[in-house]
Amino acid sequence: MVQRFRTLPPRYWLVLVVVLFFIGLPTVIDSFQAGEWAQALVLGIAIMGLNILVGYSGQLSLGHGAFMALGAYTSAILAHRYKMDYLVTIPIAGLLTGTVGFVFGVPALRLSALYLALATFALAVVAPSLIKRPAELTGGVQGIVLLPPVPPRPASDTFAALTGTAMTSDQWVYYVTLAWGLLLFWLAWNLLRHRAGRAMRAIRDGEVAAAASGINLAGYKTLAFGISAFYAGIAGSLFGLAAGFVSPDSFPVALSIQLLVGAVVGGLASIPGPLIGGIFAYFLPIESNQWVPTQTWIPAAIASTIEKAGPAVTYGAVLILTMIFAPNGIVGLAAAAYTRLRGRLRGVPDRESGQIPQDPQTV
Amino acid sequence: MQEFLQLVVSGIATGGIFASLALALVLIYNAMGLVNFAQGEMAMVATFIAFTLISHGLNYWIAFPVTLVIAFAGGIAIQRIVIRPVERAPLLTLVIITLGLTTLLNGLAGAIFGYVPRSFPSPFSVQTVNILGAYASYRDLGVIAVSGVVLLAIYLLLQRTTVGLTLRAAAHHPEASRLLGVRVSWMLALGWGLASAVGAVSGIMVAPIILLEPNMMQTIIIYAFAAAVLGGIESPLGAVIGGLIVGVTVNLAGTYVPFVGGDLQLAVALAIIIGVLVLKPNGLLGRPSVRRV
Amino acid sequence: MSALLELEEVRAGYGPTSVLHGVSLEVNDGEIVSLLGANGAGKTTTLRAITGGVRWTGDIRLNGKSLRKMHTEDVVRYGVAHVPEGRGILTELTVEENLKLGSHLRRDGPDVRKDYDRVFEYFPVLRDRRRLSASTLSGGEQQMLALARAFLMKPRLMLLDEPSLGLAPLVVRAIFEIIKTINESDHVAVLLVEQNARLALDLSSKAYVLEVGRLAIEGSSAELRGNDAVRRSYLGY
Repeated sequence: MVQRFRTLPPRYWLVLVVVLFFIGLPTVIDSFQAGEWAQALVLGIAIMGLNILVGYSGQLSLGHGAFMALGAYTSAILAHRYKMDYLVTIPIAGLLTGTVGFVFGVPALRLSALYLALATFALAVVAPSLIKRPAELTGGVQGIVLLPPVPPRPASDTFAALTGTAMTSDQWVYYVTLAWGLLLFWLAWNLLRHRAGRAMRAIRDGEVAAAASGINLAGYKTLAFGISAFYAGIAGSLFGLAAGFVSPDSFPVALSIQLLVGAVVGGLASIPGPLIGGIFAYFLPIESNQWVPTQTWIPAAIASTIEKAGPAVTYGAVLILTMIFAPNGIVGLAAAAYTRLRGRLRGVPDRESGQIPQDPQTV
Repeated sequence: MQEFLQLVVSGIATGGIFASLALALVLIYNAMGLVNFAQGEMAMVATFIAFTLISHGLNYWIAFPVTLVIAFAGGIAIQRIVIRPVERAPLLTLVIITLGLTTLLNGLAGAIFGYVPRSFPSPFSVQTVNILGAYASYRDLGVIAVSGVVLLAIYLLLQRTTVGLTLRAAAHHPEASRLLGVRVSWMLALGWGLASAVGAVSGIMVAPIILLEPNMMQTIIIYAFAAAVLGGIESPLGAVIGGLIVGVTVNLAGTYVPFVGGDLQLAVALAIIIGVLVLKPNGLLGRPSVRRV
Repeated sequence: MSALLELEEVRAGYGPTSVLHGVSLEVNDGEIVSLLGANGAGKTTTLRAITGGVRWTGDIRLNGKSLRKMHTEDVVRYGVAHVPEGRGILTELTVEENLKLGSHLRRDGPDVRKDYDRVFEYFPVLRDRRRLSASTLSGGEQQMLALARAFLMKPRLMLLDEPSLGLAPLVVRAIFEIIKTINESDHVAVLLVEQNARLALDLSSKAYVLEVGRLAIEGSSAELRGNDAVRRSYLGY
């Protein structure tokens, strides 16, 4: 047993450390910040879903904000109108959204990357208006307000025993989100390690070849859409919990872009990528808005333009720069740095990786 | 009945605008193999440039060609700076980059000009002309006419000139074209410049109607996309027919279908897109092809 | 007098894999030279190196001018027509458009028209199918198109990669006849990569045999043809 512990690859230790870090985090930050971190985790879950679609099966979606909205409203309506326990609504929201996503994946098969982006973009643009319409159900423009959840006795007692303070609602939400996050990340890791993951990656890297080796293209691609939407639905549901309300304006097109930026920056086709991406996507606009005005070397005109522009300019620039210079995101950079460091420490000379050249056009 | 007729006629007029943009999409995306999610935003920026020139006193008829030249140069610059580094990357990377470009341009335009819609001059009068008892404005008809001329010019350039030939060759068969002495890199840049200029024309034509503001092209692009999908993505004629049908349908649905109303017209476009893809993926006039759109 | 095309100790490869390990050869003005060898010997890589499709070290000179660091399209513009493995037909375009891409760089109008006449004389099927998409042509017809296109480029040197591949013997014979005609009447040098050694040796005056990235044998075609041992071990017949 000890033997196996010793020989676990460093990656597993890293995961353990990270998990412990997140479990302990609320004990060292204040309640409000815990709420913020919960929202970052929510984004991370949604981005994990998006990553399954984009990074692993190569289909672009700009409509994941809309899927989040579906999950959020499902939970909100079930909890508010039908008085269900919010926690119970979370998996229901996920499954419903997943099914819708799976169905959406069927016509999506017909579209190449650009057109799929356009179609999902249309979905994201239309979503807020679609939500407002059935006003009695969705609360229309005002949305639905949710009561802050009360931490249940066992959780609250444990927390109090460990930290000496009572658990706040925000902190409880944080732990719910964390629990779902751990579950979903573990699920994704398992999924992608095995056949489904390999199939999807084969599809991403070359559909013709994948189909030729017997992979059911249509099946896996729609499955990817479904799973991806499932994650977004759960994230949306948790979002409602964390924010305390849902409204059409909570799910603008910008959210979908934000998710994509997070996925790209964190690292497409990686498991830790979405977590990093979620943290980045949530905290960047907040930090930069506070940071920019304090930098006196930025001329006033540019600074005010950046402030007024909001995150859009930053996101756009980040997307472009990342895809050009670091297409595998932060995870990719870290992995490359790690390999080089390890090589240097062990005295192995840097070998240029082999590239398959593009064949001249053949007919 | 009168209302119905009016709706149809104005639907055809709007549809004509969608048709011209759908046509631009078909020509540019297919003939030149261009992948540019930011086509609409580049057009919007060009229109703002024209706006700035005009508000500084430049005559409309001078500002127009000057803007086209700037748009052309801008298109080439973007290709050289942002697209060329990832020339050999998979399609997905390119789409994501052009998406970043979209967000960037939209944000910049918003920051510099704000989101308040502005009016933009049109060379055509707003007077209406009577067609079959319904009214269409000269302006709408003018937009359709100008777009038609521009697109015809582009079509002739692509199909009948050597430059057009090398453009198409470079876009679809870069490696084989190199072996024929085609300077592929520059042809791709030229393609972007042309697409950008065409977009600028669309923007300048459309701005007087939908008012100039950073988000103006977003919904229009979706309508144009619906038109192109309906008509069959590979067919220029299909794009035109698709545009007209989308224009009329959206107008009629907006008035006669209570659920839709004014703000869900875009949802109708989305429904058309999904419906066509599920029921008849090659659209009305598309060739049944093994390739996906 | 220096040769038209000179390769000097050329090494080339893909990433860490080296395919050519120091190949030297020469093609003189108006000469037809065969480059033979088994699959994987490096024949295609040699042609690719000449037109800049693969990284190489050593030197490659056309008419005395080094081709190092030149882009593919510039090498081509300097006078080399390369018909690659697979023929490089632009299937999105028509037959006529493919041909036009062959002649699009030329400025000598009347001569171009004469050359088109000759092309249609050699390959009537190209005239008949002018307006059709190039994808509708059969394998043999595509090879004809590729050759016609290369001829229209009015090159000094033609690089042909396995023109006989996948074609019926009659068609191959016809095509090789035309290669010979072009070479004789227009003084176009040809570097011919072929697996069908017999055909190649009949056409060419000189031959090189590559084996795993190195030159195994070189000599006049007559010599190689006459030498039984060489024929059996290297040429397979």
